[in-house]
Amino acid sequence: MNLKDCHAKKVLSFHGPLTISLLSFISNYLKLIIKTDQVLLSRLYKIFVELTQNVSYYSAEVREVEKGIKSGIGWFILYEYEKYYLFSTGNLIKRNDAYKLTRNCTEINSLSEENLRVLKRETRSQAKIRDIGAHIGLIQTSLLSGNSLDFNISEVNSKHSYFTLSVKLDK
Amino acid sequence: MENIVIKEVPDSPYYPEVNFNADKGICEISGESYMEETFKFYSPLLDWIVRYTDEVKKPLTFNFKLTYFNTNSSRLILDMLDILKKYQDNNGNVTVVWYYDPEDPDMIDEIEDFEMETGIKINLVELE
Repeated sequence: MNLKDCHAKKVLSFHGPLTISLLSFISNYLKLIIKTDQVLLSRLYKIFVELTQNVSYYSAEVREVEKGIKSGIGWFILYEYEKYYLFSTGNLIKRNDAYKLTRNCTEINSLSEENLRVLKRETRSQAKIRDIGAHIGLIQTSLLSGNSLDFNISEVNSKHSYFTLSVKLDK
Repeated sequence: MENIVIKEVPDSPYYPEVNFNADKGICEISGESYMEETFKFYSPLLDWIVRYTDEVKKPLTFNFKLTYFNTNSSRLILDMLDILKKYQDNNGNVTVVWYYDPEDPDMIDEIEDFEMETGIKINLVELE
């Protein structure tokens, strides 16, 4: 990270239950407040939705936000740097899922764009109709960003770990 | 056979607008798709296409005007295209058109992937 990289502007952050209403509102708000070209804005919007929905669906920390409606809890932060945007999310995961998640992210980071698209097609066609899983969302995020997934998993207790993910989107 | 009409609601832009017309043989799905219960939303649409291709058996034009869909929705879109391809393989008359924003280069990749996965020809038209 060079000196200019230190001058980051926090654009948005949130910690709590990531409901669909909230995500929809914020993702459309992003379109209003970020002044950049349409291609970049579109990618940022798509990455925002994919990653926050992954937190919402797969966080091991869940809260009932309305009667009968549960939502995953986690956080996100969007920073703007001089040459790129950095979007990060974090949430609790089941400790048993840590190995699979590490394997998936490592595989994604090792592949070229063309091979990522092959993996995306294979993963999608093999997915169960009712649950496509978090994997394809991570593949799509990597394809859209053109950068590798910067992830970390740390042990919390005997049942849970904490998953953080950052992705860079060049301007 | 009944038509399906689902209007876009400003408070829930994560649901697309849907218009499946059995009389005209035209299906249209537009807007954005990133709802939570994806299968619950798409299941009646899939059932409708299966019924149309099994019972009505007339020409069908399928117009996609989706400007964004998440990866969960893409799984169900793939299922719709699979049913249409099966109909085409059984001599059904199917035309698939995808209206896309020329300022969204990623959408072209998505459409190419759908073509490769299903084997169906998707005609591209720029959104005005």
